[in-house]
Amino acid sequence: MGCGGVRSSVVDELLEVDGSPRPIARELIALLHRIGIDEVRERQRVSDLEILTMGISFTVYSDGENIDRAWPFDVIPRLIDGDEWSIVERGLAQRLRALNHFIDDVYNDRRIISDGVFPAGLLDDSANYRPECQGVHPKFGVWAHISGSDLVRAGDGQLYVLEDNLRVPSGVSYVLENRAVAKRTFPELFQRYRIRPVDAYTDELNRLLASLAPDDRNDPCIAVLTPGIFNSAYFEHSFLAQRMGAELVEGQDLVVGDDDCVYMRTIQGLERVDVIYRRIDDLFIDPEAFLPDSMLGVAGLMRAWKAGNVGIANAPGAGVADDKVVYAWVPDMIRYYLGEEPLIPNVPTYRCMYDDEREHVLANLGDLVLKPANESGGYGIVIGNRASADELEAVAASIRADPRNWVAQPILDLSTAPTLVDDGIEPRHLDLRPFILTGEHSYVTAGGLTRVALTKGSLIVNSSQGGGSKDTWIVDTNDPSGHQPAQAQNQAQNQSAGI
Amino acid sequence: MALLSRVADRMYWAARYVERAEDSARVLRAYGDVLADLPTTSSRWSPLVSISGSDVKLPPVVGSDESQVAQFLMADREHSNSIVNAVEHCRENLRTCREVLPREAWQTVNDLSIYVRGAAVTSVERRRRDRFLSRVIDESRRLDGVLQSTMTRDEVFEMWRLGRYIERADMTTRVLGVRAAALLAQPPGSVDEFAEVQWMGVLRSLSALQMYQRATRGPIDGPAVVRFLLFDHRFPRSVAGCLAEMRTSILRLPEYSTVLGAVEAVDRQLRRSRPAADDGAVLDAAMDEVQSALARLDTVMHEQYVVH
Repeated sequence: MGCGGVRSSVVDELLEVDGSPRPIARELIALLHRIGIDEVRERQRVSDLEILTMGISFTVYSDGENIDRAWPFDVIPRLIDGDEWSIVERGLAQRLRALNHFIDDVYNDRRIISDGVFPAGLLDDSANYRPECQGVHPKFGVWAHISGSDLVRAGDGQLYVLEDNLRVPSGVSYVLENRAVAKRTFPELFQRYRIRPVDAYTDELNRLLASLAPDDRNDPCIAVLTPGIFNSAYFEHSFLAQRMGAELVEGQDLVVGDDDCVYMRTIQGLERVDVIYRRIDDLFIDPEAFLPDSMLGVAGLMRAWKAGNVGIANAPGAGVADDKVVYAWVPDMIRYYLGEEPLIPNVPTYRCMYDDEREHVLANLGDLVLKPANESGGYGIVIGNRASADELEAVAASIRADPRNWVAQPILDLSTAPTLVDDGIEPRHLDLRPFILTGEHSYVTAGGLTRVALTKGSLIVNSSQGGGSKDTWIVDTNDPSGHQPAQAQNQAQNQSAGI
Repeated sequence: MALLSRVADRMYWAARYVERAEDSARVLRAYGDVLADLPTTSSRWSPLVSISGSDVKLPPVVGSDESQVAQFLMADREHSNSIVNAVEHCRENLRTCREVLPREAWQTVNDLSIYVRGAAVTSVERRRRDRFLSRVIDESRRLDGVLQSTMTRDEVFEMWRLGRYIERADMTTRVLGVRAAALLAQPPGSVDEFAEVQWMGVLRSLSALQMYQRATRGPIDGPAVVRFLLFDHRFPRSVAGCLAEMRTSILRLPEYSTVLGAVEAVDRQLRRSRPAADDGAVLDAAMDEVQSALARLDTVMHEQYVVH
């Protein structure tokens, strides 16, 4: 390890240690050299303009008048080899199958606890455990239908799962929009590379949601439930509803009848809703069952769901497995429920609830990332080597006071990729959020949302805090015999989408 | 597929607002054009404020000065019917029903909104004004073109059309109530050598000059202009023409009987105004009656499709 915070072991996604392009990135880097920095900037300018005109935006609170901001997009794509991705794809599907077994188990038989694989008592303290969900059996035994797991590549070149987002993960609309923009930014590369298309996602999502309808409902009515225009992901809610031809509803548009069925208010009166893709945290979806003063939800929704009259994705209560302490057991869950070895490793995680692990953490605070269990969006996280002595002392006190609520992980050297910044093209740290659909079958996006920290040295990739995004290309390099070339597929999709 | 009441309401209002922006732009463009032909241009700008809405109170700082009125109608953020606000209201309404719109339609509105926000203030000056107003008019028409050519004729589409035609009929009555009434009210026998220019201005402010000439094959005659703009149902900006389009849309909506009844009430009010075409003293009041009937139609639609 170097000194002064400089680390020697950072991997770059596109470049070898000596700065030469990795084999997969040769065409891309050659093109960047050929067209030169001015032309790269020009293409960036055109794509920024396109994003503004297409209204691809995200919402920032308390930003005065202009709360709707243009989506930050870096034109230089991030490339991943198709062979590596095929393993990641299977690993994510595997992970989500195990997590869903776990959620279904904890709300029903709790075999994993009686078999001694998972500690008793841990769940009852979880902020995301919903006792109201006990005894419910959603279709296919699946609770977390739509999830986004954050992947990072560490200094050893290996991709790790950093966390699983099982509640209302967002970002998939930007995966699709980034691709649409990238195709126009680097059309010549789409002709040379075989890049897996991403457009199928909304179709797959539509199919999954339709499969969650009550069995007796043909041609089910699907609604996306949004908290409304002020939510940071409103663009995405609207985008998904549009792509699926689903209704985009707010709580005020829905009502639960005396028959425990869900209806929406239309110009013709009430119409039955069969499946709800909710983009509202479960504590807010039903004031009757959870927070009584929630204005966002629909009174009686839980009743309707428990009666089997409406499918809800993700199921209420799914967040119980979206907990940084529960995370530490996911490899064990995969072995326990599926009898398989995990295909993608977890980041090693110390659980402060165990005396020996806690003592190790307290003795090595400066070398660890300290995470509270139930916060999302990076809140409350302390990075040991960047924290002051006072901050470390405070976090040590918090850990001693509430050890169940803390985990610690080694500080990872997140990989970088070349990114266009004011000074030219420089390496910036990034992560990757693929989206996984789980129902009767599994589906994983080809790639996902690459988020990049635009500030030099920064590890913060959130778009609300100055992060950007890149298009992610899963590139197939092996013999394409028997396959339609990827570029032909792309063109066909362009035409059918009317672009 | 069912149409959510909330979405119906927002489509309807989006259409009204973009039509309002387009109509205001057209009136302003034609007015500036006419005044350029008149000998003196002082203190003639205030009627435009009345056209833009009887409920609007001109702030005391705004006089009849051209640039103040143009600023008020184009770029004033405090004035809810200014072009910049009307475009913004249209965008905000459509932003919450993007899922039912063809994508290009949203892009058109978004594009217009970006342009208007950036250019409104600097376009008040007469030299740049025409370009701005023409862009607003063109984009509004482009939006209709996108919907016309790519949107399924479902209830969403009909809500859009209803918003467009109610707003358009309303604007036609406002132009007649303010401008035509004033022109007709000139004392009998007084010879205004600029009357024809001004009547042409009235027609231009509704993009009606050429069609009027084709329909009447005669000279510009005040009462004939009023009758054309009220009753020639073949002309799409006449009040009768707008009512015919509303009927077509309403018949495609569910449970329409009370709404259709409200359209017929507007029509009765319109026919009652026929004698006013020759008489400036009563034209303004007659137009007010038609506007009230249009407002009742709006209320009936709201009760039938939104709050029921």
